Amino acid sequence: MTVPPRRRRLAAVALAATAMLAVGACGTTKDDTPKANEPITLTVDVFGQFGYDDLYKEYMASHPNIKIVERGTGSTLDQHTAKLTQWFATGKGAGDIVALEEGLIVQYKANPNNFVNLLDHGGATLKDNFLPWKWEQGMTADGKSLIGLGTDVGGMAMCYRSDLFKKAGLPTDRAEVSKLWPTWDDFIATGKKFNEANTGAAFLDGATNTFNVIALQEGGNAGGYHYYDLQNNLVVESNPAVKKAWDTIVKIIDAKLPGKYGAWSNEWVAAFKQSKFATMACPAWMTGVIEANAGADNKGKWDIASVPGGGGNWGGSFLTVPSQSKNQAAAIELAKFLTSAKGQVGAFKAKGPLPSSPQALDDTAVKDSKNAYFNNAPVGEIFATGAKNLKPVYMGPKNQAVRTEVENAVRTVELGQRSPAEAWQDAITKSKAAAAK
Amino acid sequence: MESRLFNAGRLTYLTLIVACLLSFFPIYWMFVVATKSNDAMGEVPPPVLPGDMFGDNASRLLENPDANFITGLVNSAIVAGAVTLSVVLFSALAGFAFAKLQFRGRNGMLLFIIATMAVPTQLGIIPLYILMTKLGWTDQLQAVIVPALVSAFGVFFMRQYAASAVPDEMIEAARVDGCTTTRTFISVVLPTLRPAAAVLGLLTFMATWNDFIWPYAVLGDPENPTVQLSLRALSNGYYQDMSQVFAGTAIATLPLLIAFVVFGRQIIGGIMEGAVKS
Amino acid sequence: MSTHVSTRPGPARGHPQPAPDKRPPKFRSWPTTLDVKGTPYAYVAPFFLLFAVFGVYPLLYTAWVSLHDWDLLSAERPFIGLDNYNSVLSDPDFWNSVVNTLGIFLLSTIPQLLLALWIANLLNRGLRTRTVFRMGILVPNITSTAAVAIVFGQLFSTEFGLINWLLGLVGLGPIDWHTNQFAAWTAISTMVDWRWTGYNALIFLAAMQAIPKDLYESAAIDGARPVRQFWSITVPLLRPTILFCVVVSTIGGLQLFTEPLLFNSGTDSIRGGTLRQSQTITMYMFENAFAPNFNFGYGSAIAWLLFLLIIAVALVNAALIRRFSGGRKGSD
Repeated sequence: MTVPPRRRRLAAVALAATAMLAVGACGTTKDDTPKANEPITLTVDVFGQFGYDDLYKEYMASHPNIKIVERGTGSTLDQHTAKLTQWFATGKGAGDIVALEEGLIVQYKANPNNFVNLLDHGGATLKDNFLPWKWEQGMTADGKSLIGLGTDVGGMAMCYRSDLFKKAGLPTDRAEVSKLWPTWDDFIATGKKFNEANTGAAFLDGATNTFNVIALQEGGNAGGYHYYDLQNNLVVESNPAVKKAWDTIVKIIDAKLPGKYGAWSNEWVAAFKQSKFATMACPAWMTGVIEANAGADNKGKWDIASVPGGGGNWGGSFLTVPSQSKNQAAAIELAKFLTSAKGQVGAFKAKGPLPSSPQALDDTAVKDSKNAYFNNAPVGEIFATGAKNLKPVYMGPKNQAVRTEVENAVRTVELGQRSPAEAWQDAITKSKAAAAK
Repeated sequence: MESRLFNAGRLTYLTLIVACLLSFFPIYWMFVVATKSNDAMGEVPPPVLPGDMFGDNASRLLENPDANFITGLVNSAIVAGAVTLSVVLFSALAGFAFAKLQFRGRNGMLLFIIATMAVPTQLGIIPLYILMTKLGWTDQLQAVIVPALVSAFGVFFMRQYAASAVPDEMIEAARVDGCTTTRTFISVVLPTLRPAAAVLGLLTFMATWNDFIWPYAVLGDPENPTVQLSLRALSNGYYQDMSQVFAGTAIATLPLLIAFVVFGRQIIGGIMEGAVKS
Repeated sequence: MSTHVSTRPGPARGHPQPAPDKRPPKFRSWPTTLDVKGTPYAYVAPFFLLFAVFGVYPLLYTAWVSLHDWDLLSAERPFIGLDNYNSVLSDPDFWNSVVNTLGIFLLSTIPQLLLALWIANLLNRGLRTRTVFRMGILVPNITSTAAVAIVFGQLFSTEFGLINWLLGLVGLGPIDWHTNQFAAWTAISTMVDWRWTGYNALIFLAAMQAIPKDLYESAAIDGARPVRQFWSITVPLLRPTILFCVVVSTIGGLQLFTEPLLFNSGTDSIRGGTLRQSQTITMYMFENAFAPNFNFGYGSAIAWLLFLLIIAVALVNAALIRRFSGGRKGSD
């Protein structure tokens, strides 16, 4: 939308005026069906960077009666999860739009009454705007209720440090690097070569995130589930896919590839800055994390190759409208706008989350995009291709808690606190306890 | 002749200097990291001399929309200010009453207050949280202000001071002049209590400013933190900028450090006096 | 707040006392009687009212909640008697947190109080610039626990920390401060000691200054050396103060929370490490009572067990102190 400058200034004044009205009119906007120009403040609860700032501005400019407030850009998923529990337990506090991560949405689908059923608001027509599996994830099991519209997906790749690869005498070009590791066994072989060169850096950041990637791949390859089967039974112990992923990560640890940096810890962050590891599994959204942690000094040293084991998905979220929202109609409109192909392209351009809309994935702004920090890697092409072909994994009700326990067991092996056999037993018993809580 | 136990030789000075250096080093180091660029994080050997990036780090911190650091500073100032005023006022009133006024049940009540000082505060945080949920105060500042408005320690501290610093004759004289108790309190007692009130105020302000567990439990909204919660969020997010975090800890510590330098003598006096009497 | 409205100066002022002689109270007019009898209660009322609501009520309510199956999500909260206590007591993670708490407590309190005694003894000598020294050792006490934990977290970093670097210079380490249980206890204890040693030293110093010097002079004439004087005069006379410091340290130390929480960064820091190697009781309580579990009943049971433990440890400590520092004089 192009607005002549003078009009734009007027619009800004009008906007400021409505914003003031909105503040002054606190508590009067509770009408479910507001009149067209009644000032409304919409609160959007996210966790981390969703890249919506410019989209909000655009939306507010075309809807002068609406003011958007975003909360939670500084929250981690853990903090967000805690708040969600409170909001939905007490029936108050949630914003008009709430983001749910894919590992969480299943447990909230158990109580669909907490959310507006988007099928009642023309949601069905949006189906083709999303990758089929992403659409399914937003739908309750009985197919009667659509509680969430997809935002992004976490198409997978392997990020690597070309300068360290060079030092170790390995190829540095991303196509050649991809060819080094079609499988995880090849990845291990490459890692051993890297270690022999004694660069002073570890080959891999740590075991837990890597394990998560492998488990999602194995789950996707075998039936589309990992910790929970499609009937919501906990199958950590019996699912061969989980055990296979476990054995792979034990091999990786035995080969001394991980630098033992605990994911998201202070040491992990310091290790980025001090170039202490050469590779890490990176879903699309992780590129932003790497850039923020590794800092400007390391620009151009990172690059992106394909992930061993062929594709996969990690993460991605949904936007929901809680039924406790006082501005449901306006919130639904905004959620549709943010998750539209156009909205997803905008978010991708701002912060890099990979669209879940096929139209957005085909948009040249996504497909042809390059990431300057990663040596101009064609991120659009790398991630988008994977996203369309990936095999999604079903996440059961307590997926988050179970995953925490299994990854914790992986970490005890990595740190040498437990033998692989002991840790596997821990993983089984503790994930059962966590699922029962 | 003084016994050798009280002679301060070179070794005494040396040991004390070392103790003071150890005490001061982590604070010094906090300022060092706060003045370094973020890329220095994790350097080996770790930096021990200050750099020149403090302004840069601080402005990045203040502009960081995820940190809500300014909100945190303002919130902490509001909370600590309100709690301090209230604790000092109510402690002075009750302390004076316990020290100088006669009333039935006085000793029992005082004993009760002393006993509550020994009860671990964290025992009550779960019901307090439930209470705040019912009142709808979670994520709001009154949730951390209201429960802290009175302090058993404060009452006890003021009683001890009032007992020795306010002469009985003074109160009697005021009464003889026709003053009511409240008038006596305002115009005679309060001025006498001023030094103790100042120390109690400083100690309360510091303790409230630095409080962590209860705000952590009840202020779950990252948009509305106290300064300590803001620091915690900064140092535990998806990405971490340690020079920002340390700039934050430095800024959050600075006001207390200044107050300490200015009022250190009084604070030390307050702590030591409280100790002798308890 | 205007709880002392009834004692406003107004009416009494109009009735000056008949004479400046000290008459017994029976001659007072009724507003004065109300003033004398009522005002003290009005003065202590704000404390007791607020304390009742935000101090006593939560304590008692904790006991009530602990007898119920009560979590944030449940609509019903059935009474289940002591079931929560049974589950807590049979949870190995609870006992692990008890061991950690006691371990960190011993590791921090003993050196802390000994050091504080020693520093107080040094400060009690004829020093020049004594205020500077006193301020110097107290300065850690003004920093926030969160700031301390963040700073020490960096100092104790296994690969990038100053402490391991210094140890490396003398050929030691590197010590894995986070993974190794004892090392984690040590690191956390160091934070606690750093913050509290100076404070305790000042309290000891205050008590030492109250000891009459002639006691030492006569001991010196008897030929007692300074070290012996310290142990046979200073320490026994300090017994009530030591007892006070030990009890206060017990109450504080067994509730330790912020230091170990912030010492562990990354995912699930509330667990205190992969094997919960530095999870204290309060952290364990927090993990269960708040995010992610929000099990208030279970958490309240932990809170009460913690309370009992604090009382038990405080009593044991008091008995120990009585036995070991029991010199010539009893308590006054």
